[in-house]
Amino acid sequence: MDNTSQISQSRLPDSTALKQQQLPAYKLQLSATKVLTGFFITGAFCLGMGILLILSAKSTKEIEGNIYMYYKLYGFYQNLNPYVVSRSNNQLMGRDVKDVGNCDPFSKSHNGTPIAPCGAIANSMFNDTIILSYNLNSSIHIKVPMLSIGIAWWTDKYIKFQNPSLNLPSTFAGTTKPPYWPKPVYELDEENAGNNGFLNEDFIVWMRTAAFPTFKKLYRRLYRIQYFTEGLPAGNYSFNITYNFPVTRFQGEKSVVLSTLTWSGGSSLFLGLTYTVTGAVTWLASFSMMAIHLMLNGRKTVFPQQKSEDSKRKAENTEMDSEVNGAKDV
Amino acid sequence: MFRRSFHRFCAAEEKRVGTRTVILGNHPVSATETYIAPRFCDNRIVSSKYTLWNFLPKNLFEQFRRIANFYFLIIFLVQVTVDTPTSPVTSGLPLFFVITVTAIKQGYEDWLRHRADNEVNKSTVYVIENAERVKKESEKIKVGDVVEVQADETFPCDLILLSSCTRDGICHVTTASLDGESNYKTHYAVHDTNALCSAESIDNLRAAIECEQPQPDLYKFVGRISIYNNSFEPVARSLGPENLLLKGATLKNTKKIYGVAVYTGMETKMALNYQGKSQKRSAVEKSINAFLIVYLLILLTKAAVCTGLKYLWQSNPHNDEPWYNQKTQKERDTFKVLKIFTDFLSFMVLFNFIIPVSMYVTVEMQKFLGSFFISWDKDFYDEDINEGALVNTSDLNEELGQVDYVFTDKTGTLTENSMEFIECCIDGYKYKGVTQETDGLSQTDGPVTYLEKADKNREELFLRALCLCHTVEIKINDTVDGATESADLTYVSSSPDEIALVKGAKKYGFTFLGIRNGHMKVENQRKEIEEYELLHTLSFDSVRRRMSVIVKTPAGDILLFCKGADSAVFPRVQNHEVAPIKVHVEQNAVDGYRTLCIAFKEITPDDYERIDRQLIEAKMALQDREEKMDKVFDDIETNMNLIGATAVEDKLQDQAAETIEALHAAGLKVWVLTGDKMETAKSTCYACRLFQTSTEILELTTKTVEDGERKEDRLHELLIEYRKKLLHEFPKNSRSLKKAWTEHQEYGLIIDGSTLSLILNSTQDSGSNSYKSIFLQICMKCTAVLCCRMAPLQKAQIVRMVKNLKGSPITLSIGDGANDVSMILESHVGIGIKGKEGRQAARNSDYSVPKFKHLKKLLLAHGHLYYMRIAHLVQYFFYKNLCFILPQFLYQFFCGFSQQPLYDAAYLTMYNICFTSLPILAYSLLEQHINIDTLTSDPRLYMKISGNAMLQLGPFLYWTLLAAYEGTVFFFGTYFISQTSSLEDNGKVIGNWTFGTIVFTVLVFTVTLKLALDTRFWTWINHFVIWGSLAFYMFFSFFWGGIIWPFLRQQRMYFVFAHMLSSVSTWLAIILLIFISLFPEILLILLKNVKRRSARSPTFELPTLLSYKHVDSGDS
Repeated sequence: MDNTSQISQSRLPDSTALKQQQLPAYKLQLSATKVLTGFFITGAFCLGMGILLILSAKSTKEIEGNIYMYYKLYGFYQNLNPYVVSRSNNQLMGRDVKDVGNCDPFSKSHNGTPIAPCGAIANSMFNDTIILSYNLNSSIHIKVPMLSIGIAWWTDKYIKFQNPSLNLPSTFAGTTKPPYWPKPVYELDEENAGNNGFLNEDFIVWMRTAAFPTFKKLYRRLYRIQYFTEGLPAGNYSFNITYNFPVTRFQGEKSVVLSTLTWSGGSSLFLGLTYTVTGAVTWLASFSMMAIHLMLNGRKTVFPQQKSEDSKRKAENTEMDSEVNGAKDV
Repeated sequence: MFRRSFHRFCAAEEKRVGTRTVILGNHPVSATETYIAPRFCDNRIVSSKYTLWNFLPKNLFEQFRRIANFYFLIIFLVQVTVDTPTSPVTSGLPLFFVITVTAIKQGYEDWLRHRADNEVNKSTVYVIENAERVKKESEKIKVGDVVEVQADETFPCDLILLSSCTRDGICHVTTASLDGESNYKTHYAVHDTNALCSAESIDNLRAAIECEQPQPDLYKFVGRISIYNNSFEPVARSLGPENLLLKGATLKNTKKIYGVAVYTGMETKMALNYQGKSQKRSAVEKSINAFLIVYLLILLTKAAVCTGLKYLWQSNPHNDEPWYNQKTQKERDTFKVLKIFTDFLSFMVLFNFIIPVSMYVTVEMQKFLGSFFISWDKDFYDEDINEGALVNTSDLNEELGQVDYVFTDKTGTLTENSMEFIECCIDGYKYKGVTQETDGLSQTDGPVTYLEKADKNREELFLRALCLCHTVEIKINDTVDGATESADLTYVSSSPDEIALVKGAKKYGFTFLGIRNGHMKVENQRKEIEEYELLHTLSFDSVRRRMSVIVKTPAGDILLFCKGADSAVFPRVQNHEVAPIKVHVEQNAVDGYRTLCIAFKEITPDDYERIDRQLIEAKMALQDREEKMDKVFDDIETNMNLIGATAVEDKLQDQAAETIEALHAAGLKVWVLTGDKMETAKSTCYACRLFQTSTEILELTTKTVEDGERKEDRLHELLIEYRKKLLHEFPKNSRSLKKAWTEHQEYGLIIDGSTLSLILNSTQDSGSNSYKSIFLQICMKCTAVLCCRMAPLQKAQIVRMVKNLKGSPITLSIGDGANDVSMILESHVGIGIKGKEGRQAARNSDYSVPKFKHLKKLLLAHGHLYYMRIAHLVQYFFYKNLCFILPQFLYQFFCGFSQQPLYDAAYLTMYNICFTSLPILAYSLLEQHINIDTLTSDPRLYMKISGNAMLQLGPFLYWTLLAAYEGTVFFFGTYFISQTSSLEDNGKVIGNWTFGTIVFTVLVFTVTLKLALDTRFWTWINHFVIWGSLAFYMFFSFFWGGIIWPFLRQQRMYFVFAHMLSSVSTWLAIILLIFISLFPEILLILLKNVKRRSARSPTFELPTLLSYKHVDSGDS
């Protein structure tokens, strides 16, 4: 660092703006009116946005439009670190079915056969079947048509998860099913080849680990045909749930959620409320600032003497700290 | 570093004491004596630190000695060995980056040094071997070799001049590269060897030199040469610094010289002098370390809390091992204690980003690049010397903004040090101005008492004394070899006073024409040339404060002329002569002139013989030569006759007064430490407005503390009295000192060297402490302190005393001369002035400027800005990392304390390196929250940052709380929004990585925008890096998520970012969270602005930062 200044030696330093610290610069000048206006507008934006969101949340009828069915788990920690890492991407991408990566403790069965899909996540896949029925009347129960595809991320379905080959059972030969699974992976959806094996969307959805112990995952979406082109018509519905997934063993709970979407996606009530509150607080702040501003302006003209007296006292107080303490021997 | 290599190359330290014997030409002196060549180190200069093979281990070792680097290394090793949630890359990569950058920088610097070393070591020199002139590389020179040096060449090692091939055996050298003194210095060859002027004759010379072991003092050398002339007894001659030619000096005006190498390579005086300066650490650095400890504690607490809670949580068997997350066999087998320990380490690793690895790099870069602004500043450019400011260290930039005490030298610092002869007084008669007549001096139209002139003889004696008693030289142009009686004689001297005196004498008709062959030529008023043989020069030193010459007049009389400070001369002259001259001297001193008294003495030939013998004896001494010389000088300079006194004016430097006033207004205490006498110094102090006319002066000088017996009692009384006075003036609530200055009576203190040493080294053990403390109490209460008659060491003593005061104030010393070096080195910040007394001060300083007036801008503008910038940089760094890691900490409460990271590894790694580093660097280089002109024109602003204001507990807490608030908002805001509504289009749910990415996005935007809010000076660079960083973050996230990375095991970020942004509600949530996070900050800034805008008149408007200290000056 000693050679920093050799440059300037015996020469007039360059007079470029940068070197003289004279770069043209925009200096932030905040005048009270500008500030207050800016704050006011921000507040208005927040309020407007909030009200819009709330209104759209209110106006949405819960049974109209696209209906999504979720299952919701309570107290299930999909975010435990050992759990999150217990998967093999290589396997899931169909590159090598026998690559069990860091799937411990669910990488191999007792006799050493690699598990496909391996790992704690896959092993604990949610396996209840939920069937929603529309009770047209007490005797006729119509099964609400539900789609089990289009519920996972596009990129997951088409890139991140791949079956090794089209002939599933032979592909998975030499592997075994996860210990908690009743059937192997290539039998997840035998009706739809595009939804079978690793490409099964229920499986893909499950594999995207949730951030919190209470989470919901998309299970089915409404197939809008027949009675249900407009959504779910008003009436009585019943759920028929095959109970497979044990929640009591981790002191958890599970539930089913039916929901619809607004233009902003999801239920916007909370977001709307937050926006409204923020907007209100901003307005409140700008009003009180305006009051302070006006008050100080007024006082300045009326008691200029008082003012300077005040600041003097303030100066005295602050200077207390910076005082040099009495000379103690060193 | 030099010391170490010195030890490596040369013999042990104990060799330093005692003497060494150098055999000329390494010939055995006589055949009979067995001669064992002693081992000396070779003439290789090694200033480089590393060699090719030891660079890596040595450099790594040095780097990991830094506590921060070591900490990160430990973290990295923990990550590698223990199974931790984040990959070792996250901390390894930044560490690698930091280490590599530093290693490259140091390697490059070392390569430059290697190149410079080689240039010196491989340069060709001519060595006389076996009567022949042999061409050699410089590094091959051995001690004892006879070296030939041609004109304008630099000496390759320290040489004893044997012969200069001129009749008088002198040569001229310039030591500009050593101490910056550009005047020619004369060096002498030993008489006996001077005639040897060819390779053969030199080769036949048999001699041994005995001299002291190498020591770094450039101006000290004692030795003895014994010349063996065939069968005779060896002739011994003394050797002094005047015989020694130093490596690095350049031969001038002399065709060639022969010299024998006595010190080579790392033992040369130049190499011994070239040592790394002691590391000064700035207050900011200490604050950083304090913060670091706080954050380390936070880190440890977090890790401990998490570990504890983890085991508490796991005490419930459902949580310990749920069916879906069974333990591996390995986990089951590990001991619990070990597991707890591993968990603790894992948490440490998870949260380790709270201590930013990149902060050190950024701080160093900021300091390094920032220091350029000082050397680039055009305002520091001085036309006279054609130079600007110089930065010798960039570690102390911010300390310039923290100065509490300024210690300044007077001569050459406050004053120009360009002396002008004003008047003189001969035998009590005052002379002023120049006369037209050539035959005498005209008397001024002064007071009526001076009707007569002094005796003509006395006048001439006085003027001759002026012409003879000095060490001035005439700068000889190369072409001139005849008479030099031209009108344009240029005098060169290390002391400007002497030049002024010689020039003064010239005005009155006596012209000094130079020295030839030991004869001084003087042209008198009648245009006759008088020649005086110069017998001895009793050189000046700051202890004796006088110098003398002994000359032989053309008539054959031997005269001693002495000039010196009045205090040094008056006791040594006839008493009756003193009184009339003393009046003048005192009057002159009050006028602010520098006075010197001139005395003379006739020496009888008998006496002279004795004196001559004594002097030569003393000069020959190898041990304690200094003391012996002093004693002899002391004996000689007695019983002299006072002729008169001179007054020389030293003009105040341009804007010295304004600068001092500005410094005062900035709340700095200015102390003048000078070697000058009290009256002169006092008048200078008045002139430069250190003392106002209203200032009441308290004096603690030999004058006020007179009579010998009761000195201490009297001093005690005075101290008590002054303290009473001051305490009365500043009663109990006198804590507001700065305020008091404006309202109360101002006090100034004058103390002189002898009184100071009386106070500091009081014999009374019990009393000494109280003296010192009373004295310090008095000092504290005085606006300005003047210490006169200070020895260089006393200056440093005072600085140390103030430095160690309670509250350890920051001290700054500014000076230009060699006598200021000690105080420059002692104080926190040392400023050198590139003055006329050589460059020693500038070389030893941290910063050097051409003039005193530059101090104003250096402190008020540069210092203020540097401090503000770096303080903000430090706070911001800790802030942004707390913001960064707090959500990760909070997340542990929701993931069963399983050390699940919230952010992806790439984000963890890149956050400090790429996403948030450049904006703060640009800010810390360019920010001018108050523009430079305002800073210089309103010194009171300096008070706002005094006492490390921006890094105190208050601002630190503010930043920490802000970070805690923002971190909480990031996490819980996203948590609630994501829990209450799905943030996704099409009802598709998000996972933990999307959640983390939302938090991270809010984080990056918030901390960058927070910096944008703090930026008051928006240059295009700021715009570029702030918006550029955000754009880069977006780009990087898309890129990172857009590809299946073959080297990654888990493609966790695949399309997460793109998917996240496809949802409108996520956008809305991000915008809202950013606004909420910044809301309190915005509100506070606006509140402050609204208030201040109303409170102040529109003409004085300054945007402030929140962490600024609030000091309203009393007169708003």
